Amino acid sequence: MDSITYADATGALSSMWLLVAIPAVSAAVLLLLGKRADKWGHWLGVAAVLAAFGLAVTYFFQLKGLDNRSAALNLFEFIHIGGLEVNVGLLFDPLTAVFVLLITGVGFLIHVYAVGYMSHDPGRRRFFAYFNLFVAAMLLLVLGDNYVMLYAGWEGVGLASYLLISFWYERPAAATAGKKAFLINRVGDVGFALAIFLMFATFGTTDYAKVFNGVLESEAGQTVSAGVLLALGLLLLLGACGKSGQFPLQTWLPDAMEGPTPVSALIHAATMVTAGVYMIARSATIFNANETAQTVVVSIGALTLLIGCIIGCAKDGIKRVLAYSTVSQIGYMFLAVGLGGGAYALGIIHLLAHGFFKAGLFLGAGSVMHGMKDQEDIRRYGGLWKHMKITWATFGLGWLAIIGMFPFSGFFTKDPIILSAFNREGWTGWLYGGAALLGAGLTAFYMTRLFVLTFHGKPRWEMEKHGDHHADGDEAHHAGIKQTADGRDIQHPHESPLIMTIPLIVLALGSVFAGYLMSTSVVDWLTPVLGDAPEEHGRLSHGTVTVLTLGVVVIGAAIAFLLFRNGTELVERPARTHIVRAARNNLYADRFNELVFELPGRLLTRALVWVDNRGVDGIVNGLAAAFGGGSGRLRRLQTGYVRTYALSILSGAVLVVAALLAVRLG
Amino acid sequence: MNDIQLPPIDYAALLPMLIVFGLACVGILAEAFVPRKHRFAVQATLTLAALIAGLVTVIINRDLEVTTIGGAVTIDGAGLFLQGIILVLGIVAFGLIAERRLERGGAFVANAAHAADSDGDKKQLNEAGATEIFPLTLFAIAGMMLFCVSGDLLTMFVALEVFSLPLYLMCGLARRRRLLSQESALKYFLLGAFASAFFLYGVALIYGYAGSVQLVAIKQSVLDSDKSGVLLAAGLALLAIGLLFKAAAVPFHVWTPDVYQGAPTPITALMAACVKAAAFGGLLRVFNVAFETTSWDWRPVITAVAMATMIVGSILAVTQTDIKRLLAYSSIANAGYLLVGVVSLGGAVGSSMFYLVAYGFSVLAAFGMVTLVRDADGEATHLSRWAGLGKGSPLFSAMFTIIMLGFAGIPLTSGFSSKFALFSSAWDANQSALVIVGVLSSVVLAFPYLKVVVLLWLNPPGDETPTVSVPGYLTRAVVGVGVLATIVLGVAPSWLLDMVNSAGTFLAK
Amino acid sequence: MNPALTGVLADGGVTTGEAVTFWILAPIALAGAIGMVLLRNAVHSALSLVLTMLSLGVFYVLQAGPFIGMVQIIVYTGAIMMLFLFVIMLVGRNTRDSLIEVLRGQRVAAILLGIGFAMLLGTGLARGIGSIPAVGLAEANVNGNVEGIAKLLFTRYIFAFEVTSALLITAAVGAMILAHVEKKPGEKMDQKVLSRARFEKGNYPGPKAGPGVFATSDSVATPALLPDGTFTERSVSKVVPARELTIAEARPKAVNGSKEYGAIK
Repeated sequence: MDSITYADATGALSSMWLLVAIPAVSAAVLLLLGKRADKWGHWLGVAAVLAAFGLAVTYFFQLKGLDNRSAALNLFEFIHIGGLEVNVGLLFDPLTAVFVLLITGVGFLIHVYAVGYMSHDPGRRRFFAYFNLFVAAMLLLVLGDNYVMLYAGWEGVGLASYLLISFWYERPAAATAGKKAFLINRVGDVGFALAIFLMFATFGTTDYAKVFNGVLESEAGQTVSAGVLLALGLLLLLGACGKSGQFPLQTWLPDAMEGPTPVSALIHAATMVTAGVYMIARSATIFNANETAQTVVVSIGALTLLIGCIIGCAKDGIKRVLAYSTVSQIGYMFLAVGLGGGAYALGIIHLLAHGFFKAGLFLGAGSVMHGMKDQEDIRRYGGLWKHMKITWATFGLGWLAIIGMFPFSGFFTKDPIILSAFNREGWTGWLYGGAALLGAGLTAFYMTRLFVLTFHGKPRWEMEKHGDHHADGDEAHHAGIKQTADGRDIQHPHESPLIMTIPLIVLALGSVFAGYLMSTSVVDWLTPVLGDAPEEHGRLSHGTVTVLTLGVVVIGAAIAFLLFRNGTELVERPARTHIVRAARNNLYADRFNELVFELPGRLLTRALVWVDNRGVDGIVNGLAAAFGGGSGRLRRLQTGYVRTYALSILSGAVLVVAALLAVRLG
Repeated sequence: MNDIQLPPIDYAALLPMLIVFGLACVGILAEAFVPRKHRFAVQATLTLAALIAGLVTVIINRDLEVTTIGGAVTIDGAGLFLQGIILVLGIVAFGLIAERRLERGGAFVANAAHAADSDGDKKQLNEAGATEIFPLTLFAIAGMMLFCVSGDLLTMFVALEVFSLPLYLMCGLARRRRLLSQESALKYFLLGAFASAFFLYGVALIYGYAGSVQLVAIKQSVLDSDKSGVLLAAGLALLAIGLLFKAAAVPFHVWTPDVYQGAPTPITALMAACVKAAAFGGLLRVFNVAFETTSWDWRPVITAVAMATMIVGSILAVTQTDIKRLLAYSSIANAGYLLVGVVSLGGAVGSSMFYLVAYGFSVLAAFGMVTLVRDADGEATHLSRWAGLGKGSPLFSAMFTIIMLGFAGIPLTSGFSSKFALFSSAWDANQSALVIVGVLSSVVLAFPYLKVVVLLWLNPPGDETPTVSVPGYLTRAVVGVGVLATIVLGVAPSWLLDMVNSAGTFLAK
Repeated sequence: MNPALTGVLADGGVTTGEAVTFWILAPIALAGAIGMVLLRNAVHSALSLVLTMLSLGVFYVLQAGPFIGMVQIIVYTGAIMMLFLFVIMLVGRNTRDSLIEVLRGQRVAAILLGIGFAMLLGTGLARGIGSIPAVGLAEANVNGNVEGIAKLLFTRYIFAFEVTSALLITAAVGAMILAHVEKKPGEKMDQKVLSRARFEKGNYPGPKAGPGVFATSDSVATPALLPDGTFTERSVSKVVPARELTIAEARPKAVNGSKEYGAIK
């Protein structure tokens, strides 16, 4: 690659700092005005994001007309120490542009949705303040022209996410989830911070252009050792894993669903969690320079996507399933960006498409919960399509998109990733390709399960209402439900108001068309940043993979449909005895299910859930406890007696004197 | 008989100190002759005038580089900058000391001679506080200024005592919770005397080695001498103990939490900001001028102390339940970060000074805000009482949040830029182990700060949540300046970094 | 001053006289220091310190530093320590303070660390001083010891010397703040005012009735009964908290001859 340069920003683009400033000012206004802004605060929040979106569109078209396809704006010198120099500068290039459009566009829709969703919440103004803060920080993250700016945004979105997860702080689960997210993210952040220091030590700068050129030069002249580049890559990856919920730091993400649903949609599905993908794509030069780091990225992606799928099969909370599916879909993106070359762009377009359909799915889930008095358990839904048609339709489109059904957007974005995975050189291609394919099948299975259980079959919320009349031999089952049920008074599931359904419709349209529209244009658009996609002649042709994938998807979906069309598995028993011919098939399917999914799946799921709860949580809690305990033990030294203090000073003195004299006397 | 001749004295170079010392003496006289009802106004004006005049003369002297009084005082770029820091932070701290609107009569007791809780003490509860505070503050600040520019260890020792003694005294003059305050003063005094003894013993041993107590002469004798360095090493160790005590480094930090908690909050603020600057000014000067050439000797030890300070300070901060103690442990951890600057020697002097400025402003604002959260018994410092303050006092909570985020080193605050500057210059000086420990401990340290933020915003207010008093204009100015500095130095720190870097290093001749 | 007078050789060596004096006084100085810490009686403690100070003064003189030796004796032992003694006498010597150490291991640790520290520094000094010749004493004392000190004090260390005044002022102010109760105008009572107040109308000039005089109970908290039958609060010390008496306590006590306890005949 030639050396990387960015052109100076001109014209409208020279005002791109407004992108960050507008939501930030709005957040500050909302926070500082306090109760005085309660009445109109949410509209200010929406307007700020809309303004940012308008600006983003303007900038996008201006950028399109530029030759260099980049615009750098140096605002001021941030720190200048010795040889180190950090500037506050913004960079608007094709990669940034797509992210800015996604953040402001989807962000705007979710803001609108949240006006309705949070309408009964007394803390709505505060919510919008944090939400705007998040948008500002996220825009800073993607607009920065060096890693320190990226880090600033990175911490900002982390803070906003932390505040929003524990938004309903009176719920202990929300507070705990917030702390967990914070702690795990700090683990990742340490990696990122160390990567930045390593960058300083190696290149003396963190500017994208200078770092990347340094990497390129070092590739040519071997000036920087491969070990340093590898360390740099792995440290950045650690940061990315923390933010994007990738193995082994994935556990905070599902817990983060304790926050309000718009938060899950915007932060924990569409934008913030993809910051890791952004960082890796942005650092393409660094990752391209060492294959080991790339292999690690691919492996983490593949592993995470399978973990996400498998756990997704076993969860019953609607948002939990979606959360694990997010983990799994980001796994796809990691897989893609790890493959390098042309697959970077594939990762990005999957990210964009995912932004649409996952936001749509989450908002749909929110709409369902809104109508069901915050009931989350999919076993307690069923047959809702009659009651909330718009939600059903939009959710259905999102469902088809995420499982990758032709011609919905997931098809156009996921297929190429699976293809690229298969075409990776060596035997690993089969491994990663196989994992990606299996993941597609599993995704189809659990998403279909989710969809069918929620919207079709017998309404199980009604069953409870008339539970006694329906009690035909399933006493135990019903009793089980009753014990856990707190939603028995759900009687009138209803469609959400227009302000919530309109964003749903827009996002659903995006789920349908975005994939096709982006599949070629965005790849070309991103070429200046990520390099050309070389024409690949792999071991499998595009057609083969498409057929394979569709086949797997249809099988997965079909199995799920057959298993769950009548509700949860226990209700299936009559079906097995009634239709003899189909019974064999069903039996076969049952066995298949048992053998292939249920048994290993359940074991694996249990193991993973166990690891999830004990292992990772244990480590996190253990660390916190270790600090707390160590702190408590150390605190006992602080007795308050001055003679103890003097003793401590004396012992310190003995140590210091002994240490200094040891060399001289020894 | 006639060969006693006064060495040439550059009065212009000494002018800032002479002004502050002189006006402190005038303040003492004013205490005796000015009628009681005018005393506060006169003393406050006098103090502010002294500090501002001192600052102005420091600025006028800014390009001066001179060694005067036969080497007793060395005025150089770094020394002048440190004097400037102390004066600026002193002016800000003065706002807290002179505040009398939060509480009738201010934060200081009217007659310290009344035994705590005696009849006389109860009667004086609403009387105006002692005005002796002002000249004492001036003496302390003048002592700190001298401490940073001392050319020999003896002058340094005298300066150390000059700034310590008023502080010991002022620690015991709190209006509320007087027993706690007096206890803290006594502890500080006893331990301070203990540490001074170490310092003095160290000076004696170094004199034994070098035949002089002048920093430059010590350096020269290290270079020239073929004597066994045992005396030097022992002396250096003892000297370092005395200095590290003032800097609150582990394991010489034990006094800090008790004293910070017991002392009247304005004095705590003064100690956290100005004394920290003075102590590190002295440490930087001693190690950069006198012992730079023996760095292979002391570096491992000070490195270990720095690591211990960062780790112990940050870990202990986690379980604190009192905001003043929390800030005390945070100041210990920050002393650890500053020691990283000391270990890194020459290249890190600038960023250490930058750190002192950034930390000083933030900590002044933090303590300023601590004085605002009050109930009927004075300040409510227990953290449980702070729960849910964000509901009733969003502006206060927002500002405190900014300060806490600054301490936690979140980017775009001065905490980030100062840590960044310090750690990167330490990295340049090949102190990578210290940098790693520093980054890790600051991650741990972020936890208690954010805990406070969560407490402010996300916890429901209790029945006993105290009110945030409406600050008087002085406290308002202090908090405003502190928060502003935290943000400005975080967003655009380069001008100050240029200034500290161009201030140059210590004069070693 | 003649160096020979002070018993110090020009080359820094030690004469027999110096050595003998040292070995006699050194144990005494040490014993005094240890005694100061260990003795329970504050006066004894102070006197042990005096012993140490005196020995040190002699050492200084031996080391050809007559000025500091004299200052040590006159100022430290003569003035400061005597002041100390006065204060102890005024405050009252009290040997009943508990000296039991409540912190486990504190004393052992302190002793061990103290000894360790002393040994560490002792070894260091023994090793270090041997290699460094003492030079420059003759030059320093060429015009006499006092003048030598004066020269340093008023030339190189003039600023430190002057700044010490700040220290003294602070100390004086501190003593004032901590010890002096400022009387407000009108609060100050002289003899005349006091006796006027005593004989003012409504004030009873005589001595206060003691508690228990004419009292109906033997508690010190019970106010005395005046001849006119009223209680006088003045008879109860302010230190004793006023308290409500129970019925049993308030009931008149049994007196000789009465059969029933508490019965009034």
